[in-house]
Amino acid sequence: MAMALLSPLLPTFSSSSPNLSQKVHRPLLPKKRSSLSLTRCTGNGAGKVGSASVEEKLEGKKEESIPLESEEKLPLESPDSNGAAVKAVVPTFNDPRWIGGTWDLKQFEKDGKTDWDAVIDAEVRRRKWLEDNPEASNNEEPVIFDTSIIPWWPWVKRFHLPEAELLNGRAAMIGFFMAYFVDSLTGIGLVDQMGNFFCKTLLLIAVAGVLLIRRNEDIDTLKKLIEETTFYDKQWQATWQEDETPSVSKKE
Amino acid sequence: MAAHLHLSSPFSTGLPLKSPRRPRRIPSRSSLPAPVSARSASRPLRAAVIGGGPAGASAAEALAGGGVETYLIERSPAGSKPCGGAIPLCMLDEFSIPAHLVDRRVTGMRILSPSNLAVDFSRSFRPGEHIPMLRREVLDAFLRSRAQSRGAHLLPGLFTSLEPPSSLSSGEPYLIHYTSSPAPGTLAGTPSTLAVDVVVGADGANSRVARSVSAGTYSSAIAFQERIRLPPEKMAHYEDLAEIYVGSDVSPDFYGWVFPKCDHVAVGTGTVMSKPEIKKYQAGIRARVWSKIAGGEVIKVEAHPIPEHPRPRRVVGRVALVGDAAGYVTKCSGEGIYFAAKSGRMCGEAIARIWNDNSKDVVTEEELKREYLRKWDREYLWMFRFLDLLQRVFYGSNAAKEALVELCGDEYVQRMTFESYLYKRMAVGDWRKDLGLVWRTVGSLAKAGIMGKEVERLRTLAEC
Repeated sequence: MAMALLSPLLPTFSSSSPNLSQKVHRPLLPKKRSSLSLTRCTGNGAGKVGSASVEEKLEGKKEESIPLESEEKLPLESPDSNGAAVKAVVPTFNDPRWIGGTWDLKQFEKDGKTDWDAVIDAEVRRRKWLEDNPEASNNEEPVIFDTSIIPWWPWVKRFHLPEAELLNGRAAMIGFFMAYFVDSLTGIGLVDQMGNFFCKTLLLIAVAGVLLIRRNEDIDTLKKLIEETTFYDKQWQATWQEDETPSVSKKE
Repeated sequence: MAAHLHLSSPFSTGLPLKSPRRPRRIPSRSSLPAPVSARSASRPLRAAVIGGGPAGASAAEALAGGGVETYLIERSPAGSKPCGGAIPLCMLDEFSIPAHLVDRRVTGMRILSPSNLAVDFSRSFRPGEHIPMLRREVLDAFLRSRAQSRGAHLLPGLFTSLEPPSSLSSGEPYLIHYTSSPAPGTLAGTPSTLAVDVVVGADGANSRVARSVSAGTYSSAIAFQERIRLPPEKMAHYEDLAEIYVGSDVSPDFYGWVFPKCDHVAVGTGTVMSKPEIKKYQAGIRARVWSKIAGGEVIKVEAHPIPEHPRPRRVVGRVALVGDAAGYVTKCSGEGIYFAAKSGRMCGEAIARIWNDNSKDVVTEEELKREYLRKWDREYLWMFRFLDLLQRVFYGSNAAKEALVELCGDEYVQRMTFESYLYKRMAVGDWRKDLGLVWRTVGSLAKAGIMGKEVERLRTLAEC
């Protein structure tokens, strides 16, 4: 009976199954009980690992084998962690044009103007490099480069030109017909529409729509996002599902 | 954006047991007394709260304050749990938490992107605004002792199983089986039984209460954290600063953090997607903060599951789940202390209200749902949904994480975030600014997306 009451909406979306963690955890249960007498922590938060925190671990067995539980000094030279693979010497990103945490724009000048395209290319390479070799952040030389340093038009150029053409065409058509329909339905003229909140919202939706939905695959991606979001919502609503059959749960 | 791995679970103060009355204990099942009706004029409602974390202690306090005979069962004395220990500012007032419990008041919050772009997220703090950081062992002990002073009976012991009555509508009691903690000097605890009318499950992510009433499971994330004591000159940097790191090296779907604690820092990370690789990501966060923690001393290593979504059933019969046991941890920020304490209080108050208003003899599942769940969902569902959406949009890829960090530099974003985070109410913005924000968000995502695509292109070129 109890099983039958289980909501159909058991979590399935996460790649990690909850059952797995249960399985890992279960063998630890008897241990928890036996360690009750041992659990007393220093209470100032700076004590050694209390068994209370060890036994709660999801992957307790694994954790317990770590030498870290005895006090460990972090070496000064390089990160090294519990046997996980980290290079002994961390290489840092080097580029003569990367100075003081940003791109030295003077070195990107071409015909008296900054070649923003080259800046984007350089930054792309830097980001790829950092993805492969994550670098320690430090206080001495903070990174200050962000994409807002580059003006908007090099970005627009980055969209393939035919694609921009397509988007413009679409936006123009949608804009025209929307203006036409709003006019025919409400009698508000094009000029008045510009000052109207509702019409501005429509415009924003149209622009966002054109930008977000560029090809059919985009619809799928958006659909997936919406599906995942509604899935989360369903998980919240799950507890209300049995409301339709409240008598079942009452008469167990 | 704040901190938060918290997880409520039954830890106790280790304070001497001060219960004025012994609970009704039934030594074994064979000698059960005849079932008692849930209501008689002479006897108040009996409630058991399983788990003495913020959720359980708040529930017990509210129940005892409402005239309910309350038993708070908690497993073990003062341990600390892996927890960011950050609470929203409004919690200090709302739960009357005295100022001396707060170890640190974080006024600086820095968020670092995969390309190490650092943005000060806390520039828009108003004078006096900060994120209080405290130790869970201290907070939990305080909340529990306050529940006791309100009249709740603290029972140190391990909850083992819950025996539902044969018929819920009859008003027969639930039987709680638990092993009471052994007296000092002895090894074995005594198996004990307690009969109650209502049960509040506040026993954390691995809730036994939830299991024993088949409330269903949820998928969980894992949080891993190392407490590191730093040399004084390095500690000075983290005096009142918390750092958040995003990037696929640190976590594929969450963030890594450095939070200042009382006299040390907590360095950790979390993930849902690839829990077996948590060690790799912990190495990642260590590598990212390396220059700031080198020479430190690891004093403690902790790991803990964090619920990812609510349980399929949060109220079953006369059993209500609160806090982590119910799955009330936000996405995106992973915050849970406040929601645990708040849900505990709401649930406790709901039960007391139902009982005091009720002319009938029982507290029913429908009433619990109406008074506790309905109100909870109405109050907080939007917040959980919104943060879930944010997590999906911004934690998906390195490109999106770059966009997130850029947006965090925006004054308006900061104001709205902290308004919502610190005061736990929906910040109402100016719609024109909101539209501007939408525009900037699309812009940042598009720019970061272009970069991301180019990085991918370079990668495939390199592979060819």
